[in-house]
Amino acid sequence: MNRYSPRVRPMVFALLSAMLALPAVAHSDGSGLNLRFADHHFTPQNLAVPAGQPLMVKVLNDSKETIEFESFKLNREVAMTPGETITVRIPALSPGSYDFYDDFHQDVPQGAIVAK
Amino acid sequence: MNFGRLAWIAGLACIAAASAAQLVPVERINPPPTGTLAAPPEIAATLKRACYDCHSSATRWPWYSRVAPVSWLVVRDVNLGRKEVNFSDWGSYYPVTRRRKLEWIGRALREEKMPPWSYRLMHPSARLTEADRTALERWIESTLTTSPPPGE
Repeated sequence: MNRYSPRVRPMVFALLSAMLALPAVAHSDGSGLNLRFADHHFTPQNLAVPAGQPLMVKVLNDSKETIEFESFKLNREVAMTPGETITVRIPALSPGSYDFYDDFHQDVPQGAIVAK
Repeated sequence: MNFGRLAWIAGLACIAAASAAQLVPVERINPPPTGTLAAPPEIAATLKRACYDCHSSATRWPWYSRVAPVSWLVVRDVNLGRKEVNFSDWGSYYPVTRRRKLEWIGRALREEKMPPWSYRLMHPSARLTEADRTALERWIESTLTTSPPPGE
């Protein structure tokens, strides 16, 4: 039953704890946050993110036209050619809604990054 | 092969490449306006002087916009500038779009990002004085105040 010596046990415990915590860390740094532009709209239209943590949002322009991913509140504007993927780095956000849109096509519905 | 001969060949190749580049067509077009911005005369004059070459359909194409490869860069910048904001199409923007663009213009003025230095270098008259910036920022502020965000 007692397979590990008392000296090794804390190290095993620490290792297991680190492995369990890994997915949470990956989420908190914003990896896995994706936006896709296709058929004249962004998906998802509302992207829930954790507040108070820096984020990285990947945006894919999966359409055949050049768009501009833009957000005044986030102070970001990036023109994107068809097929291009960009990574938008966002500092830790206060809770709230931060709208984004395609500045080159005003009829595209705007979306929001919602920090909670 | 001596150095002099090599230099001659390289020079001739450059001239041939530059001549061939002139044959690549570029579209320097000024499309008809769809809804020109209505602003107080002094604001309109400042915008025309400093912004209209890239942000309107009334571009004054300089001589170097006819010489490749500079012409390619000028046309690209004008096309991109018009996509960002086109004062000749201002009236066709949705109210929310006008609002967004005014906010961005205000930010660009505060951060002194516009007009860009590369443009000012070739167009000294496009420089904005402190008084110009203040007048533009006041106009933006008053326009934003009188046109509240949608839903309010």
